Amino acid sequence: MALLEVKDLSIQFATDEGMITAVDGVSFNLEAGQTLGLVGESGSGKSVTAKSIMQLNAGNTSVSPQSQILFQTAAGKILDASKVKDKQDMMIIRGGEISMIFQEPMASFAPAMTIGTQMVEAIRIHKDVSKQEAKDIAIHMLSRVGISDATHRFKQYVFELSGGMRQRAMIAMALSTKPRLLIADEPTTALDVTIQAQVLELMKELQHEFGMAMIFISHDLGVIRQVADVVAVMYLGKVVEFGPVRSVIDAPAHPYTQGLLASLPTLKDFDAPLKPVPGDIPSPLERPSGCVFHTRCLKRVDRCDKAVPERSQLSADHWAHCFLLEDVA
Amino acid sequence: MASVTAPATKASTNKESYYTAGQAQLIWSRFKRNRAAMISAILLLFFVIVGIFAPFISPYAPTIAGKDPDYLNGAPQILRFWDENGFSIVPFTYTVERTRSAATNLRWVETINKEERRYLRFFVKGWDYYLIDFFIDLPGRNYDVRWRALKMDRHLFGMDKGFIHFFGTDKDGKDLFSRTVHAVGISLAIGTVGVILSFVLALIIGGIAGYFGGWIDGVIQIITDAVRVVPTIPLYMAIAAFLPDDWSAEARFFFISIVLGLLGWPTLARRIRTHLLAERTQDYVLAAKLAGASPRRIISRHLLPSFTSYIIVDLVITFPYTVLAETSLSFIGLGLKDPVNSIGVLLKNATNVDVMLNYQWQFIPVPIFIILVLAFVFVGDGLRDAADPYAQGKK
Amino acid sequence: MIETPNKTKPSQTKAETLISVKDLKVHFPFGNIFQKRGVVRAVDGVSFDLPKGKTVGLVGESGSGKTTIGRALLRAVDTTEGEMRFYEEDDSFDIASLKGADLREYRKKAQLIFQDPYASLSPRMTVRDIIAEPLEALKITKGREETNEQVKAIAAKCRLNIEHLRRFPHAFSGGQRQRISIARALVLNPQFIVADESVAALDVSIQADIINLLKDLQREFGLTYLFISHDLSVVAHISDIVAVLYLGEIVELAPKRSLFLRPKHPYTTALLSAIPRLDDEGSEMQKLQGEIPSPSNPPSGCRFHTRCIYAESKCKAEKPLWREIESDHFVQCHFADSLELKGVF
Repeated sequence: MALLEVKDLSIQFATDEGMITAVDGVSFNLEAGQTLGLVGESGSGKSVTAKSIMQLNAGNTSVSPQSQILFQTAAGKILDASKVKDKQDMMIIRGGEISMIFQEPMASFAPAMTIGTQMVEAIRIHKDVSKQEAKDIAIHMLSRVGISDATHRFKQYVFELSGGMRQRAMIAMALSTKPRLLIADEPTTALDVTIQAQVLELMKELQHEFGMAMIFISHDLGVIRQVADVVAVMYLGKVVEFGPVRSVIDAPAHPYTQGLLASLPTLKDFDAPLKPVPGDIPSPLERPSGCVFHTRCLKRVDRCDKAVPERSQLSADHWAHCFLLEDVA
Repeated sequence: MASVTAPATKASTNKESYYTAGQAQLIWSRFKRNRAAMISAILLLFFVIVGIFAPFISPYAPTIAGKDPDYLNGAPQILRFWDENGFSIVPFTYTVERTRSAATNLRWVETINKEERRYLRFFVKGWDYYLIDFFIDLPGRNYDVRWRALKMDRHLFGMDKGFIHFFGTDKDGKDLFSRTVHAVGISLAIGTVGVILSFVLALIIGGIAGYFGGWIDGVIQIITDAVRVVPTIPLYMAIAAFLPDDWSAEARFFFISIVLGLLGWPTLARRIRTHLLAERTQDYVLAAKLAGASPRRIISRHLLPSFTSYIIVDLVITFPYTVLAETSLSFIGLGLKDPVNSIGVLLKNATNVDVMLNYQWQFIPVPIFIILVLAFVFVGDGLRDAADPYAQGKK
Repeated sequence: MIETPNKTKPSQTKAETLISVKDLKVHFPFGNIFQKRGVVRAVDGVSFDLPKGKTVGLVGESGSGKTTIGRALLRAVDTTEGEMRFYEEDDSFDIASLKGADLREYRKKAQLIFQDPYASLSPRMTVRDIIAEPLEALKITKGREETNEQVKAIAAKCRLNIEHLRRFPHAFSGGQRQRISIARALVLNPQFIVADESVAALDVSIQADIINLLKDLQREFGLTYLFISHDLSVVAHISDIVAVLYLGEIVELAPKRSLFLRPKHPYTTALLSAIPRLDDEGSEMQKLQGEIPSPSNPPSGCRFHTRCIYAESKCKAEKPLWREIESDHFVQCHFADSLELKGVF
């Protein structure tokens, strides 16, 4: 089987205003060493989907019982990450073989502990090593991610680092346990383009070096194009299109993907008028019936608001959910 | 575009009331959902009404003037509808007779005369009182301010003859029910005076520190910290020693309210300052400045509304502490003294060994006091949870 | 500071220029009340012209001072030195020296559109009150009736549903909120708008809609924009002239085609090559090393020399002159003539 198989994942939130569907029947596979780009706008459920793999969602979340998140461990065991309770297994999906990095590195370091102390602690939770060995691993990782003078940085606090350095330190910490899967939740969104380019470069190198798989979450299709092998386009909790990154971006099948790409300002033609996707993203409390995108779709047909379109296979590894594609497939 | 948004607009018509709800409405709708807070709020309202209408609700004057000479340290009396002598629609109690003779070794003995029924009556005539009685008693006769109106002598209930004591009586025969009802009113009044005073101080001091910032803020913070570190008990004792014995009970009462107010402001002032410092750098405040709004308009239309909800919460949460402070002061004998009714005074009376062993009903004010403080705490918590309806709306 | 005249040759006549910025400096002292520790040179000698009815894009990394320039032009921060001359029909005044009633008068001419559509709208006011605030604060309209008329008119222009004016901001999505923010900025009928990252916080599919709205409004009202953004693709679309900012200085300024196709400053190329693109181009380009130095202690000579792959000893020692290398194309680099820099195609 693949490294990760997500099957029919549905997640709901209980809020003051009622139950909100954040993720609705999401399925995809991820092979070892591959990078999956999860792209979507606010409310698309991309972050919730990724966090559910490590059971990191808040307490008001409920994952529906038929959902499966099958993860193959290094030992060849298959865990359903959505249902793991056992402490040993929990260690595997939380930081052991699956690690996560975030948009805001300040949030993943404790402000009152040095970077080194935290890294050593994280390493020793997951690996049976002495303090000194853990320290060596940590310093090695820090210098590997391009932090100069790693022995000195090891003793510093996170607020003493610049934005780009913090991001590097967080990556070093996440990778110090040599995970098989790294989840990166908008890791470069808060950075300047020049620093973003550096961090993306570094992540690609490290992925190659460690041979790990990666789920890269972003709202920026350009970033996804640079780092991902396959991409899942999400809208209001659904994966509307899935496929190799080149074919999805060069030949988008779903009207939402098409609209998203058409609305982007490009450097090919400065004066081409931008074509926005009409309307606004519906509030999660007013989830559209049928195909979730029908309220903004320029190609909608009669049944779009009544029935949910099935998966249409466009090629071996490229599929989308749209009635217009049924004949094609 | 219009055609695309149309269905969404139709679907949201029932949401219109939520979309057009202002801050107060949002807070109220969230507060309503908190059951413990709602029950506590109703209880609190009940206590406030009881406190305000204490003279009307209590059948007897809570002072020595209203004592029941025939029923000292008497147990609570319970209304009955029937006994072996028959049924009555109007509830009644029995007459208590107090006798002393050689047969009883010359000690007072109370006997219950079941033949002599006393019937409950509503809106009876009793002792005179003023429904509005505003009294500031400063030391020295010339500075007193008293304004009262609506002289009345009707009371909510009473007996056709003799007395009724729901909570029993104390050693002087004073009705504990009347005393408790008055004590609730007085303790709430002290709390109100204390809280208002500290609030005004906090608003001025915290407001200046927060709005101007810089060195003014620095100096004010040093003073605030100095006040905060003063240990309260020794200070109270010093104040108690300073209070002349010849001051009237009312003068003490007023003085204690002021002391509580003067000591209570720093926490509140600090919160107002912090909130102002954070809020004045918000984008919408800059937007108002760029819109040409004067500082006065910015403060009144933007900054004040942004933290009124917090202030209300803080006041409600501070309140029970002020009441507690009064209670503990009176309890250790530094605050109000016996002829005056306050919860602290009643609690102090209940600590007497004799009372603990023989007259346990004098503890009745204790659970009432606990309920009052808890009600404040629950309402405060509920308000705090509901107070910022916009916090979770952000992404 | 005096050694950087940074003079722009007035390429436009005064009639076409709305605002002319000359040698603008904004320094923020830091430290505490007992001791000044130093100054942050947020903007350090910047000169440019804002042509009437056009959009000038301001790009740069965070810490380059782009937001401060916008705020200085609106007098939301005080300037340290320099002049910002605002030209009217037959008169002109210096924005930097406005006070009291004159400053209030200036509020009618220049407004800001914020980045964060959540923080910039007071959650406690209805949309009508938010848009009406400038009219009421400056006492422009007489009576509620007239205010409502104007609010409705501008709301309709900004494609807001005027039925929704009674609602509070919490009823609206990010894109709609940004339209409210735009309506508030335009209700006074200003001539000049600073748009500070005004589409950065929006979802991709909404972003294009707001950019189009801004363009339409510019055409209709003849607005002059200063469009501040870190996103070069957005700037390329909306601007007529682009200024590239680095550590409080403009390093390159040119009409957008000229700048994007024939960049003359290594920093501009570095920024262009860092854009994550949808095609394969640009991926082989060099990535910029290191991070932007602190503006409280900028490097000597050319401020970019610490990160520039072409830097030589001259760059460290000597500050390059601000010069017009092609017609209307200005650059501040010693080697702008000899470097072979690649544009976006």
